[in-house]
Amino acid sequence: MRIILIAQLAFLVILAAFWEGLVLLGVDQSLLPPIAKVVSLLRHLLSDPEFLSDLGVTAIEVGVAFAVSVPIAIGTGLLVGESARLAEAVNPLIYLVMAIPQSVFLPIFILVFGIGFVEKVVFGITHAYFVIVINTFAAVRSVPAPYVLAARSFGATPAQIYYRIYLPAMLPLVLTGLRLGMIFCIIGVLLTEMYASRFGIGHRLFGWGEAYQVPQLIAGVIIVSVLTILVNEAMRLLEVHAARRYGALRR
Amino acid sequence: MSIIDVRNVVKSFSIGQRSFTAIDNITFSVDAGKFATVVGPSGCGKSTLLMMIGGLAKPTSGEVKVNGEILTRPRPDLIGMVFQDATLLPWKTALGNVEFPLQLGGVNVQKRRSRAQELLTLVGLNTFAGHFPHELSGGMRQRVGIARGLAHDPTILLMDEPFSALDEQNRTKMGQELLRIWDVTRKTVLFITHSLMEAVYLSDVIFVMSASPGRIIETIEVDIPRPRPIDVIDTVAFGRIRNRIWHLISGVEA
Repeated sequence: MRIILIAQLAFLVILAAFWEGLVLLGVDQSLLPPIAKVVSLLRHLLSDPEFLSDLGVTAIEVGVAFAVSVPIAIGTGLLVGESARLAEAVNPLIYLVMAIPQSVFLPIFILVFGIGFVEKVVFGITHAYFVIVINTFAAVRSVPAPYVLAARSFGATPAQIYYRIYLPAMLPLVLTGLRLGMIFCIIGVLLTEMYASRFGIGHRLFGWGEAYQVPQLIAGVIIVSVLTILVNEAMRLLEVHAARRYGALRR
Repeated sequence: MSIIDVRNVVKSFSIGQRSFTAIDNITFSVDAGKFATVVGPSGCGKSTLLMMIGGLAKPTSGEVKVNGEILTRPRPDLIGMVFQDATLLPWKTALGNVEFPLQLGGVNVQKRRSRAQELLTLVGLNTFAGHFPHELSGGMRQRVGIARGLAHDPTILLMDEPFSALDEQNRTKMGQELLRIWDVTRKTVLFITHSLMEAVYLSDVIFVMSASPGRIIETIEVDIPRPRPIDVIDTVAFGRIRNRIWHLISGVEA
């Protein structure tokens, strides 16, 4: 483990050295600013109320989109997972829809919902929805039938079977779905912000790119990257913990 | 006095357009306190039979009476079940798994915990109460399964090939262990297996089944006295019963 960590840190150092090396070799600084400049901008941005408010706007949109999509998607997944006939009808559709890059629908979304909060949230929801459905569906199917049979023989009611067997047995896979759903949700919201929006971090990044403000752009990208990594890692920790506790790693 | 009564039971399934008969007109009964075994080749409908006796499936025709009643749903107070591969919940400890049937029945924490502890002691696992199933050996898992089956102190224990996943040595050991537990608890046991040796060693009475369609082709009383030390399997009487079953199952006249 420690060796891996050292190797990973070494990779970052090499990357930074390569970056700084290119700068020293005289690469156009408007394309690749020195690290020191980006770092000072990082500090500046993190205390800039306008930048922070843009971050806040995006975070709220992602949060709302995620909060709305989770119950709908888990509900769909449960429903489809429980009924073999429904699964037969719905699954191919879901996989077909999943194959289409959703970004092609963005102009249509904008025509329907206009530019603004609703449009961004809806696009986030449609991004998160399918991947959560698929994972919930897989989670339902992963519940071992003998557990259910045994519980029934001990007199479990349908509600008890859901609560005491399905819920814990499904948890690890559902959490995987939620983590992927969160990533997709962020992608959806950022994409909309870059394409057509007046606020939000995506809008901000895109603006910097168009204005050739490369140091700001790189600093912004770093901040967004670190934040999304933190969100992902936090959810992954939860997932690993649940898998340890509720079985996926044990079977 | 019989406590399990199976009368003219038929069970057929349909898969798409085709239907097939898994169990074809089975009649037998088990007396209270006896150790009875159903033995037969795989696919003869042994497990289906057990599901119907346990109230987990309905016969297509005929009737199953347990303690004089026709069961329409599982009755954990009357029947405890032990399954193949133990089917313990991986997120619960040994103690938690034994408590589980009591938890479903709404027994309060203290009561069910002390009952579960008592049962783990009975099956010789009192020091493993805090272990999770993956930390236990196959034999230990089945002991927990037996303790769980006994949780509600049922009159009858239904056991569906509980030791089939164990190696020969552990299987024999668990057989002895089961007889010891049976001797202490005095339950009526209906045991299912495809191992002839296990059937003869454990049982008072053996129902021999044939496959497709599943029928009982012979009922054999095992008159080997108890207690049965393991050496009993080398005796002539033991061998004679075992061979008789073998010939019945393989369709050759004895």
